[in-house]
Amino acid sequence: MTTTAPTLSSQRIPAQPFYFNTSANLLRITRYKASTLREFLEALRECPEDSIFQHAFRTLEEHHFIREGFSNDFGHWALSACNEPGLAERLASVDIREFTSVAALRDIFVRIVDEFLRKNSGIADRPAEDTFYFCASDIVVLPTTVVARTMHEFTEGLRRVSVHSIHHHFIEARLRIKLMSNDFSQWLHEDVGLTETARALNRIDIYTVTLEDVRNQIIRIVERSLA
Amino acid sequence: MEPVKQEEAVSQKALAADQATGVPFQDTSFRTERRKSSRTWETPPAPAPPPHLADYKPIVGDAAVDELHFLARGLKHRSVKMVNSTAVGGGVAEMLNRLVPLLNELEVTTHWDVITGGNDFFEVTKAFHNALHGADYELTRQAREVFLMYNEQNRERMQFTEDVIAIHDPQPAALILPPDKSSARWVWRCHIDLSNPHPQVWGFLRPFIERYHAAIFSSQSFARQLPIPQYLFYPCIDPLSEKNRKLEDSEVQRVCDEFGVDRSRPIITQVSRFDRLKDPVGVVQAFKMARKYVDCQLVLAGGGASDDPEGAVVLQEVRETAANDPDIIILDLPPWCAFEINALQQASTIVIQKSLREGFGLTVTEALWKGKPTIGGAVGGIPNQIIHQLTGALVHSVEGCAYQIRYLLTHPEFAAQLGRNGREHVKENFLMTTNVRRWLILLRIMLSIQ
Repeated sequence: MTTTAPTLSSQRIPAQPFYFNTSANLLRITRYKASTLREFLEALRECPEDSIFQHAFRTLEEHHFIREGFSNDFGHWALSACNEPGLAERLASVDIREFTSVAALRDIFVRIVDEFLRKNSGIADRPAEDTFYFCASDIVVLPTTVVARTMHEFTEGLRRVSVHSIHHHFIEARLRIKLMSNDFSQWLHEDVGLTETARALNRIDIYTVTLEDVRNQIIRIVERSLA
Repeated sequence: MEPVKQEEAVSQKALAADQATGVPFQDTSFRTERRKSSRTWETPPAPAPPPHLADYKPIVGDAAVDELHFLARGLKHRSVKMVNSTAVGGGVAEMLNRLVPLLNELEVTTHWDVITGGNDFFEVTKAFHNALHGADYELTRQAREVFLMYNEQNRERMQFTEDVIAIHDPQPAALILPPDKSSARWVWRCHIDLSNPHPQVWGFLRPFIERYHAAIFSSQSFARQLPIPQYLFYPCIDPLSEKNRKLEDSEVQRVCDEFGVDRSRPIITQVSRFDRLKDPVGVVQAFKMARKYVDCQLVLAGGGASDDPEGAVVLQEVRETAANDPDIIILDLPPWCAFEINALQQASTIVIQKSLREGFGLTVTEALWKGKPTIGGAVGGIPNQIIHQLTGALVHSVEGCAYQIRYLLTHPEFAAQLGRNGREHVKENFLMTTNVRRWLILLRIMLSIQ
């Protein structure tokens, strides 16, 4: 990222407007399911990428109101159905922001479970308390009526849109733009010239706060840069 | 205390009648034992007019309703037909009564047709229903013929000119037309638990289901191995219905006064039919264990005892376990007491649904929506709603239930956090507006609208 000459941030006119979109999804039940950790590993390897996306990315949106103790469906199942806190911790610690492709994300989940079962082969076939059903998301991207042509409109837009829109632009975006970033930061950097603000947004911890908290942190960081 | 004496008297009458006739005694006089004012629920109230989309904005927010309008844009002038087996009574009809007007308001032309049939048809479909839930059944040639004959009659009577035909549950499943006679996309919406279906009955229905373009189930575990896409639609509640709308405190107080519930002390409530699978006896036992350490009252509000012999027996067992405890309030309410149930849920400190087997468990959804810390049995669809220690507490035993009651009553901040999370979970996943959203996405997928 390059830096721009200092100006009064609040008076900056973005080169391009920011169009807030959102997405809606429908859960499809796939044929993959697991009642043991061995079956889980096999399914992790073979299930469609949509399933990895669903259980790692979309689940954050479905549980956006939870502040702690929930990271992804795989870690949750390892703890609640398999009673394997060590495995659960490792699966839950996978940070989706470090991935720009679902294939790479799948590889890390597979590696964690594979390593765990190599060290604990005796439990690979122990029945889990509940079956894990691999689902997938069919997604529709939608426009909203919110468009930001000024920085004031941008912060107002952040307040108005749904958390689905925040998730769409801030979390899912990295798979779309294939960068360790998000739509807001990209726009702030490329079209507004607020490079440090863009970087600051990328440091927000999405796993220890709710999506509403994420929204409020984004607004605070942007408003601080405009002050 | 007068109410206790009345309970004792009824209990003795019930035992005497049981011994004399073998038929469970059905006495509803106990309903009045705690009532301090006139009855409010002798007859069903008139149905309220269906709400409009704008009515949901204060609940789910403008953005969520705007999303529905955007989703519906590409579907304008497209048409849908919903077909089920009853226009009134039951969860499917209740849901369609709300869904159909909302889709029409979004200018997705939606018709609702109900199949007709004789008693012989509905006897067969009732048996199919039970068999698909896993009950024993001998599928006879006559039953198959009755099922197919009435489906054929209804197929000839109905028009299928819409773009998408959604068939609800097994009763009308054989209505589907062959591809050369219908250009519509056909969807089968299964509302029942198919996790352990009777092989003969499922084997009979399966060839029809495989001809659909998609199937919808209420839980991942209900899905079958089918060559068509299978989607997950959770059941939902309507936040504007009489059972779920926000009540005035005076309304809650009135109902509590009516039933002798003391709002100055913690209230533990289970709302469910008097059915062994809902484990009301286990709830009473858990309550008694917990009350050794914490002051509280128990309200068991349900129905089914006056029109179901099995329900009357279970109610009797519950009352015997309660042993005239003045802090255990047992209410056998008729099915149209949505307002009273709502008030009791809103008055509760903790809500329990300690089921041993469950479909989805909409009483859990109702409790979570009211922000109540909720304890549920880890069965059926309850774990979809209660994420242990995040949106509520899951239990596997009477002892576990007792412990959770004690813990939540002595840790009110944690209990309140569970309640807040639970309400958000319902808002995100189990409200009528989410159901509308799912239908709109499905229609777009079925009609290949990007």
